[in-house]
Amino acid sequence: MSIVILFLLLAGIVTSLFLGRGGEVLSALQSGAFEAVENLLRISGAYLLWMGLMNVAEKAGLISALSRLLSPFLSLLFPRAGKAKNAISLNLAANVLGMGNAATPFGLKAMRLLNESNPRPGIATNEMCVLLAVNASCLELFPATLVGMRLSFGSADPMAVALPTLLSSLAATLVAVVLCLLLTRPCSSQS
Amino acid sequence: MFLAILILLLLLFAAVRRVNVFEAFRDGAAQALPLIKTILPTLAVFSAAMGLFRASGAEAILESALSPVLSALGVEAPLVPLILVRPFSGGAAVGALTGLFQQYGPDSRIGLTASVLLGSSETIFYTLALYFGSVGIKKTRFTVPVALAAMLTSVVTGLLFSSLFFGSR
Repeated sequence: MSIVILFLLLAGIVTSLFLGRGGEVLSALQSGAFEAVENLLRISGAYLLWMGLMNVAEKAGLISALSRLLSPFLSLLFPRAGKAKNAISLNLAANVLGMGNAATPFGLKAMRLLNESNPRPGIATNEMCVLLAVNASCLELFPATLVGMRLSFGSADPMAVALPTLLSSLAATLVAVVLCLLLTRPCSSQS
Repeated sequence: MFLAILILLLLLFAAVRRVNVFEAFRDGAAQALPLIKTILPTLAVFSAAMGLFRASGAEAILESALSPVLSALGVEAPLVPLILVRPFSGGAAVGALTGLFQQYGPDSRIGLTASVLLGSSETIFYTLALYFGSVGIKKTRFTVPVALAAMLTSVVTGLLFSSLFFGSR
């Protein structure tokens, strides 16, 4: 990240100096920062609204309901999850529902429980790697916050992106799951 | 329409389950405040750097230099910063997205594609650091390559599905 920011800043300043626009550097930086405040203010309504509604959904038991639906499939991906299984399925259910904020505490709890039975402390177990890989691919049924952000910028069709987003994140999750299954299963020829 | 029904069903379901809707709603909204507070500095630094990069003319120069490569890959130049910062920083990615919304509009091809790219990927390096750091894991084995493969897939399929769904716009 630092490299990207440094590159943007250095390239911007050097180009400005070369093109004789050195005097405009500060105003460009400052209006960029102002734009950030303006844009954040614009989308913060979407954040407040959706995180509020998602908490209503969580309190109504939506995460635990979905987590019960998911848990039979989990043994395939997490054969040795042990007592972390419940936290893992809650984490994945919250992610699928797009409740990133609710997912993190479950995920951290799952990591702690997995680590308790880790035979080699400091080295990730299969279960940990798979949990992270699935978390990194972000399967989400409905991108509520994204739709809200589009709406706050005056989109006439904020929902247009829902289906392609779902398909694309589904593809990413499939790649992550298949790679994890290949990497955690010993080849049959070896046994 | 769909959203209105979704919210209606959610509220009815919550009411049936005897949830105090107002309190749950308010407590959830309260969780947005720390999020807004954490992303503002990142957003500001990224937007300032990006604003300078654009205003100085460096962006236009780099764009014309890279355009043969980018068009061969099927990537529109304004999307490149978003794709580059996405795995590292959620705040910067939101900054890139809102910048594109402001410049091109959320319903332009670029605005739509950027939405799909952001929505179908994750801040992988942040998540990895948070989760593994919480239990002191140093060796992450195959996690980074798998997460990067998932990220790359979401970029490729995001561009693909965007051109399929929004090609006519």
